[in-house]
Amino acid sequence: MITRFWAEIITALATLAFGLVIVNGALEFGIGWDSSGPQPGAFPFYIGALVALASCGTLALTVGRKVAGNVPLDDNFLDGVRAKRVASFLLPLIAFVVLSVTLGMYVATIVYLVFTMRFQGGYGWLQTLATALITAAFFYLALEKFFQIGLLKGPLETLIGL
Amino acid sequence: MDNVANLMHGFSVALTTHHILLMMAGVLLGVLVGVLPGLGAPNGVSLLLPLTFSMDPVSAIILLTSLYWGALFGGSTTSILFNIPGEPSSVATTFDGHPMAKQGRATEALSFAFLSAGFGALAGVILITLLSGWVAKFALRFSSPEYFAVYFMTFASFIGLGGSSPLKTVVSMGIGFTLASIGMDSVSGNVRLTYDFDVLLAGVSFLIAVIGLFGIGELLLTMEEGLKFEGVAAKVRIRDVVVTAAKLPRYWLALLRSSLIGIWMGITPGGPTAASFMSYAMAKRSSRNPEKFGKGEPEGVISPEAADHAAGSAAMLPMLALGIPGSATAAVMMGGLMIWGLNPGPTLFTDRPDFVWGLIASMYLGNVVAVVVVLATVPLFASILRIPFSIIGPIIVVICFIGAYTAASKEFDIWLALAFGLVGYVFKKLDYPIAPLVLAMVIGDKAEDAFRQSMIFSQGSLKIFWSNPLVATLMSIGLILLLMPLIGTAVRRLRGRRAIRTV
Amino acid sequence: MKSYKITAALAGAFALAGISAAQAWQPTKPVEFVVTSGAGGGTDNFARIIQSIIAKHKLMDQPIVVVNKGGGSGAEGYVYGKGAKGDPNRVIFGTNNAYLLPYVAKLGYKFSDLTPVAALALDEFLLWVNGSAPFTDAKTYVEAVKAKPMGFKMGGSQSKDTDQTLTSMIQDATGAKWIYVPFQGGSAAAVQLAGGHIDSNVNNPNENIGQWKAGQVKPLCVFSPVRLAKSDAVFEGKGWGDIPTCKEAGLPLETFQMPRTVWLPAEVPADAVAFYADLMEKVSKTPEWQEFVTRTAQTGRFMKGKELNDFVAKDEAANKKVFEAEGWVAK
Repeated sequence: MITRFWAEIITALATLAFGLVIVNGALEFGIGWDSSGPQPGAFPFYIGALVALASCGTLALTVGRKVAGNVPLDDNFLDGVRAKRVASFLLPLIAFVVLSVTLGMYVATIVYLVFTMRFQGGYGWLQTLATALITAAFFYLALEKFFQIGLLKGPLETLIGL
Repeated sequence: MDNVANLMHGFSVALTTHHILLMMAGVLLGVLVGVLPGLGAPNGVSLLLPLTFSMDPVSAIILLTSLYWGALFGGSTTSILFNIPGEPSSVATTFDGHPMAKQGRATEALSFAFLSAGFGALAGVILITLLSGWVAKFALRFSSPEYFAVYFMTFASFIGLGGSSPLKTVVSMGIGFTLASIGMDSVSGNVRLTYDFDVLLAGVSFLIAVIGLFGIGELLLTMEEGLKFEGVAAKVRIRDVVVTAAKLPRYWLALLRSSLIGIWMGITPGGPTAASFMSYAMAKRSSRNPEKFGKGEPEGVISPEAADHAAGSAAMLPMLALGIPGSATAAVMMGGLMIWGLNPGPTLFTDRPDFVWGLIASMYLGNVVAVVVVLATVPLFASILRIPFSIIGPIIVVICFIGAYTAASKEFDIWLALAFGLVGYVFKKLDYPIAPLVLAMVIGDKAEDAFRQSMIFSQGSLKIFWSNPLVATLMSIGLILLLMPLIGTAVRRLRGRRAIRTV
Repeated sequence: MKSYKITAALAGAFALAGISAAQAWQPTKPVEFVVTSGAGGGTDNFARIIQSIIAKHKLMDQPIVVVNKGGGSGAEGYVYGKGAKGDPNRVIFGTNNAYLLPYVAKLGYKFSDLTPVAALALDEFLLWVNGSAPFTDAKTYVEAVKAKPMGFKMGGSQSKDTDQTLTSMIQDATGAKWIYVPFQGGSAAAVQLAGGHIDSNVNNPNENIGQWKAGQVKPLCVFSPVRLAKSDAVFEGKGWGDIPTCKEAGLPLETFQMPRTVWLPAEVPADAVAFYADLMEKVSKTPEWQEFVTRTAQTGRFMKGKELNDFVAKDEAANKKVFEAEGWVAK
């Protein structure tokens, strides 16, 4: 599986890329210091550069430690059992997000809760459906009816005229 | 003593059954919006605003301020129970509050949070009562350089709290700064760093970052550890609330210091969020056991809570007397004042004493009502932790994402919350500190604006930060706060090396 | 595609003049009021007052949901409106920023993505100085600034917005030169002036009234062709109506006003535009609206159809001239 070494390296590369993107975006607005102080791009430019530099530092440090034979770096960042546990939580969560933007947040809430409770938690249908429906109904009443904030809706809500 | 007489008159305005009922309704609604991350106090207040158009201004402001207090309390509740700060200002409460809840001390953490919050709020109101005239004059002396100095002090107090690798702290803080600078730059009137994506026009919302980094990140970690909340076994008794209350006086110094920091940040433009961070930092720095912080130290709950509420209530003064909103919620309330036909300003106190003193009196009553109401809910909230994680986990997920959407009704925010969740998970596993990122996001762009405004004032000369006694004092305190830990570390390192060498 | 949009927008605008009486279209689902400012801002108050008046007088059957989209100084709201092309259930509230923002910043919408509906009021701009300043009229103040270029500070809202545009117009017309300090908004500029950190601002009446009442700031003149409506005395016996117009005070600059505007997305049915224009006209005639306009010392002026289009064209041209002269136009 992934060792901590590679996790450190990948994260540092990602923050390095982030810093460089910011530096690039800031260049458009001028990074100098004129009569009225720093130009609009100056702060983002230097902060972005700092992030990139610090990321390079982390990279160097991590590689250096690896060469020196630092043991914790060879530890598993995520072993099989743990990865499975995270995935069993993360994948339904991502599915929930995808469902939210396609079928609407109420449908997604019900489907997601039914899946996690019935098929992952092993609860009975009655308990599962009750929890899922009550949660969705609570949000519907509190948000749509009381505070008048609409959540994302999909085709199903339109169909039943909500 | 005029003020005390005025306050008595205020009580006669505020102390009616109708108003007490409004306070209770406001607090309960506030707890509800506070518990939902993303919805939050500013949203809650602006949603209730239309209801108040037909009310008389005193009743209206009592309802809205009570909702605000309730929301502040509700925000702390989710911070402690689920590591989701329901309000920006309760981020610092998660640092020690959530560890306490995980250790089965949720009742204690909640009770400490609510009681110290109540204490802080009362300290803030007492200040308003006694020193309103003086404070209003003092706040007028603040301009951009002083604003910058206050933000600088906040950063300085938080840097060097230590723990993580300095390189990673820089990365984390830098990311926070850059995220804060996305969107409209008011000093230049340019739209920055949006890379032509329309969704970035409004910037990256701090609320979304917090929901992802703290809420979802924490859930992923909890799942990976395979831990259930250990609170399951803990019994929830109303007696625990009383026992905790009896322990509170032991922390008198923390309460006092935090209230003062909160009041200071409330009347200067720092605001409640910065106040809670600064108060947490000062508590850790002055503690004899700084290593206990972050692992469930009660003082780490008391300090940010007292400061948060002291700042929240003290911020009402600049709002009424000057028309400067000290927080996002105060900005919405100011809009309300104008719609009700009241103009915030120095003369509001003399033109509409009924309104102003009725409001101040209601702040005393409202906070007492709020503390009683929320303490009564402690057993209820604490027992939520007894629900098995396989049910409560997914429900928290739903709350997080619905909260992310309601913050600004933007689909993009849901994706953003997911991304922040993954970042929060990886950062925590690799020991990147998240607090500097959050702090930089809250006050980074304000600090940048204040700095650049100062440079326009002085036409590019840094001397402006030492141009009058007030700003010079603030900057000096900031520098001392910044350098103290560095000197401390250097000294320790030198000693440490010598020690090793002698061995 | 582009020209089609413009034609549609224009067609909508012209059509509404004819059939405002006919109620051919009615909203069939909750109507969204998009506010192009944060909660508590001027546009927010504008939209929420209208919401409360519509509710009180039951001028519309469907409920109203208000959403704040104030990011990018309002651009977020207009981009959001653009996204609802052809959907007449999304009404956008703003100012002249609807047609001015696309000039000064690279944004995801063009003015042609909006259909003009109505304007309900004109917010006024005044020249204010600190209450203890030695100047009693606009002329002496501007002469003093002229004598010492870049020696005085003008504060206002963010750069390239109305306040700085007006400052630039004054500079053009008089030859004076200020240091312009951009703050987060008018209320911050008001407090900075009261505290004596800046020398003047060009705030709207509502932004400075609290400070004027206390004598911390004083108005020198109003950038309007006629004086403001008479009002109760605000400070030392002077009310809004006693402030001279800038022309009277000897400044060669007559008018600078900001319309409070209502828009629909592009390509909506002409009937819908007529419906909302009619609705807004009814709102503008209620006593509550009159009271709001008086209290905030704005000038109530209802515009729709050709009148509105003409106003927009004129305002756009005047502002564009400043943007080009100052080099603010975004490439």
